[in-house]
Amino acid sequence: MDPRAEHQLLINRRHFFGRSSAGIGSLALASLLNDSRPASAAPHRNGIGGMPGLPHFAPKAKRVIYLFQSGGPSQLDLFDYKPELQKQFGKEVPKSVYPDDRKTTMTVGQKSFKTASSLFRFTQHGQGGTYFSELLPNLAGVADDLCVIKSMHTDAINHDPTITFYQTGSTIPGRPSIGSWMTYGLGAEIANLPGFVAMTSRGSAKNGQPLYDRLWGSRFLPARYQGVKFRNQGNPVLDVYNPPGVDDGTRRAMLESLSKLNRIKHKEFGDPAIQTRITQYELAYRMQSSVPELTDLASEPKHILKMYGKDAQNPGRYAYNCLLARRLAERGVRFIQLFHMGWDQHGGLPQQIRAQCGDTDQPTAALIQDLKQRGDAGRHPHYLER
Amino acid sequence: MARWLVDPSNPLTSRVIVNRYWQQFFGIGLVKTSENFGVQGEHPSHPQLLDWLATELVRTKWNVKAMHRLIVTSATYRQSSAVSPSLLARDPENRLLARGSRRRLSGSVIRDQVLAMSGLLAEHQGGPSVKPYMPPGLWRSISNAKYVQDHGDKLYRRSLYTYWRRTVPPPTMMAFNAVEREVCIVQKEQTNSPLQALTMMNNITFIETSRLMAERMLREGGKSPEDKIAFGFRLSTSRFPTSDESQILRDVHRRFSQRYRNDATAANALLGVGEFPRDSSLNAAELAAMTMLASTILNLDETITKE
Repeated sequence: MDPRAEHQLLINRRHFFGRSSAGIGSLALASLLNDSRPASAAPHRNGIGGMPGLPHFAPKAKRVIYLFQSGGPSQLDLFDYKPELQKQFGKEVPKSVYPDDRKTTMTVGQKSFKTASSLFRFTQHGQGGTYFSELLPNLAGVADDLCVIKSMHTDAINHDPTITFYQTGSTIPGRPSIGSWMTYGLGAEIANLPGFVAMTSRGSAKNGQPLYDRLWGSRFLPARYQGVKFRNQGNPVLDVYNPPGVDDGTRRAMLESLSKLNRIKHKEFGDPAIQTRITQYELAYRMQSSVPELTDLASEPKHILKMYGKDAQNPGRYAYNCLLARRLAERGVRFIQLFHMGWDQHGGLPQQIRAQCGDTDQPTAALIQDLKQRGDAGRHPHYLER
Repeated sequence: MARWLVDPSNPLTSRVIVNRYWQQFFGIGLVKTSENFGVQGEHPSHPQLLDWLATELVRTKWNVKAMHRLIVTSATYRQSSAVSPSLLARDPENRLLARGSRRRLSGSVIRDQVLAMSGLLAEHQGGPSVKPYMPPGLWRSISNAKYVQDHGDKLYRRSLYTYWRRTVPPPTMMAFNAVEREVCIVQKEQTNSPLQALTMMNNITFIETSRLMAERMLREGGKSPEDKIAFGFRLSTSRFPTSDESQILRDVHRRFSQRYRNDATAANALLGVGEFPRDSSLNAAELAAMTMLASTILNLDETITKE
């Protein structure tokens, strides 16, 4: 048999519905999904990009603010009240609780693993009676707005594969991050700010574990879905400001002539990519004004700044990022992710964990209250404990 | 195994390879799924052509340069990439190759190209990786390592030599869809975003190269402003501007000149971007105005597109 004909015969259902955007399969599928979609499920405001036909149910959440405490906060000292540990204090941890295959290079040489209970006092809060340690007084104040999940775990025992798993669903690098999938599927709400923003802050306790671009990367998805990482010093978005000596009038004159020249090219060549390029420069110009507006905190009332704490106006700090997260959410950014470093307490836990909670407790609670009082919280921010 | 891979009676290896060359030159391989020739892969658009190229590669004893020459000197490759609305509607992806391909250059080629146009490109080959301009605190912000930027020639080497830290790759390259290098990848979709425009307009490398290109335009471009502008335009597009284009560029150049003649501080601020010393024999206002004009030309769709 002719090998080409043979290959043709192998075309199956997956081919038909799979592949290219020009394929009849995907077109038919998209229109089917569109037709059967309830009107209420239509993306609110103007969805930009995103898959046709999504979302396929009416969404309850509008946006996500994901506060990732990176390094591994000690759950025993924060949320997970373990009275039995006090009784077991100083005894060896049973193998059934801490088997050898969970030991890391750092601990495998250790001869004895003695039980230590938390130094901190736990009390119940809210109608749900959720336990919080004394390290989190502000978070305890919004207890009923939180859902504490105590069963999360990963197979990996080291930081890198574990946080890669949390953000991408796989311990092995190479898959898109959760925010990239979100933007890929649902598109962005607005055009003059990125649809997915990541921000990082250093913890007060220690430098701790590094972060990696893959945590907000798009990997095999197109690069426009990757999280735009706001820099924690200087301009938040790279190259968003004009170079020194270039004022707005000069920039506008440059962009007007650029647009005229690109239009001439488009007329001659007909390539739709030129049209895209023209739009891209218009958007870039809008971003040049929307980003400074975003980070200008002059419009924030004093009591709001006070609520987020002493670091509310210090770029690069967790509190500042929390406030910025609210401002991003208000402006329609769909997926906002904060990474706070320094949660990796081995020695010196009592002092270090106090410092870390000092960074996060007040601003996190402030963010929840701030969103709630604005009545547009959608869902509760997810305080991830790992 | 090695013998089996390159045995003349096994055309599979050469099919996969020539398809990747084709992808490199045309943007899309004859088999679009260049990473997959199996059952899940796509049927080639031109099966006989692919077969012929594959056997030709074997016949020429796997001569890669000869294969590249064969492709780039073909009538198909040398077609104009202009497209009519009807052809665009019938073949949006140009799979049937009734026109030349038109593709945005990669981030590293865009950078190398502006370095070359400005005359800054350090052309010597080999040697260790270099650390060109990066945003301050790039590594420190998320890792415990510190990026120590190089100076002099090392700022202007081809992007191939740029030091690549996989956990924090160079952000300007990433904005232009560079591959992260954490996993092997055969093709990466080329997309456009406003961040690319911001890089092209404001990034230190692109402002510094605009200034150096402006110095060349003023020194080598001829006597009249039109000639100087045409010289710069030709440097980046390999053609002279039409009279309409020339008019637009002259108009905006006049506005830039006016601005910098009236504001010496602004002119000097703009000319202070980048470490390469400026040609002090040139008038600051003139050079600043021409720098903005060079920047306009560098940002043209045509400059960053292969057509």
